[in-house]
Amino acid sequence: MKLAIRGVGAVGGFGCGLEALNAALSSGDHKTKHVVVKTAQGPCEMPAYLADTSRLEYFLNKRALRRVDHYSRMALLGAYLALEDAGRLDEDRSRMGIIIASGYGPGRATLVFLDTFIHDGDGLSSPTSFSNSVQNAAAANISILLNITGPGLTVGQLEMSVPSALIAASLWLEEGKVDSVLFGAVDEYHDELGYFWHRFFGEKATADHEMKPFEFDLQTGIPGEGAAFFLLTRADEGVSPYGCIEDVIINRCDRSPLEIPKDALLFIGADGHKQCGKYYKEHLPENVQLACYTPIYGSLPMGPAFDMAIAALSFKQGMIFPSQACTGDERALDVNRITCLKISGSGEAGLISLIKGN
Amino acid sequence: MTVKEQLKKIIVEELNLEEISPEEIEDDAPLFGEGLGLDSLDAVEIVVLLEKHFGVEIKSLDEGREAFRSINTLAAYIEERMPR
Repeated sequence: MKLAIRGVGAVGGFGCGLEALNAALSSGDHKTKHVVVKTAQGPCEMPAYLADTSRLEYFLNKRALRRVDHYSRMALLGAYLALEDAGRLDEDRSRMGIIIASGYGPGRATLVFLDTFIHDGDGLSSPTSFSNSVQNAAAANISILLNITGPGLTVGQLEMSVPSALIAASLWLEEGKVDSVLFGAVDEYHDELGYFWHRFFGEKATADHEMKPFEFDLQTGIPGEGAAFFLLTRADEGVSPYGCIEDVIINRCDRSPLEIPKDALLFIGADGHKQCGKYYKEHLPENVQLACYTPIYGSLPMGPAFDMAIAALSFKQGMIFPSQACTGDERALDVNRITCLKISGSGEAGLISLIKGN
Repeated sequence: MTVKEQLKKIIVEELNLEEISPEEIEDDAPLFGEGLGLDSLDAVEIVVLLEKHFGVEIKSLDEGREAFRSINTLAAYIEERMPR
């Protein structure tokens, strides 16, 4: 079933909102910051794409946000921006569902809660920490603060979280369970993630480098965080300038060939992980027009949602943004279909195809 | 720092009350509802905070209801039971 994209909201290392995303895509600026990771050898600096959620105070007062942690704030901001972009902030949301995809989930809150549990015992663990640590925390916070009374779901399947959650959104709309789905994806950076990154990738993580997604044999990933949200409806409700999600497929690229539409512009989610790079190298079809925007938002499991946002923006603007594979300036979009491809470190492939119009 | 001052600081910091400073909390203002505007989840959080910071347990609902009226009643409850 085709899903129309009615509104898009995004926050990440590139900034807050579609204007910031548009500006980063046009300029190609990579806005990494430096984070300090505690290692056995002492503190170590490494780059990361971090999100600023201060714009959320435009929508909600501080009192309403006091129990909402950074992970949920990113999601909440993405949700508000998508509804605002769709012009549906003031609509009744009793027939709206919410589905969130996250590869890592609320990692920081989970570890904070575990720390209180370990240091102070189960009787002295913070209930607020606990409520922020559950996998569905962001969806719950959004439901409460936006008064969304339809069903809510959080899907965690690492790099396949976004396509997997989109399949659920499609089913809900097809079954008539809801009239619209506020669909989003979120992942956060936190100190422990930085530590793991350093442990796994060593000097590659600490070097002051840039992501090189097409250098498939090299580890050049830089951790990122952020949220991308979409207001989705059935496509028969009218044309959307952002286009439609036409198809979502998850398979294993080492077992069957990738089903990439021949006329599609392919956005690949190669995000500098050598483990995933080998699959892109082996399985990308020849003679396909490619683009890759991971250096705009970083390495994170929910990256395909940023690619969806960029695809939707490309349809609306009628242009292809410059990327490392499409050298040169911005140019007119000459295709009606964009497919976002993400391959995991174990060879799972998620394909999300968007088409212009409906 | 007095128990009342400690309590105000803990409440503001641990409950993330960014819009108010500890000095602005009145000693006899209600903590819940119309006063400081805390809610039931805050009450559970305060039970945990009292034990963590003062070593004082609130064992029954009736005791808690009385103690949670204001900073004054909460401080008195703590001072009576705080381990010396």
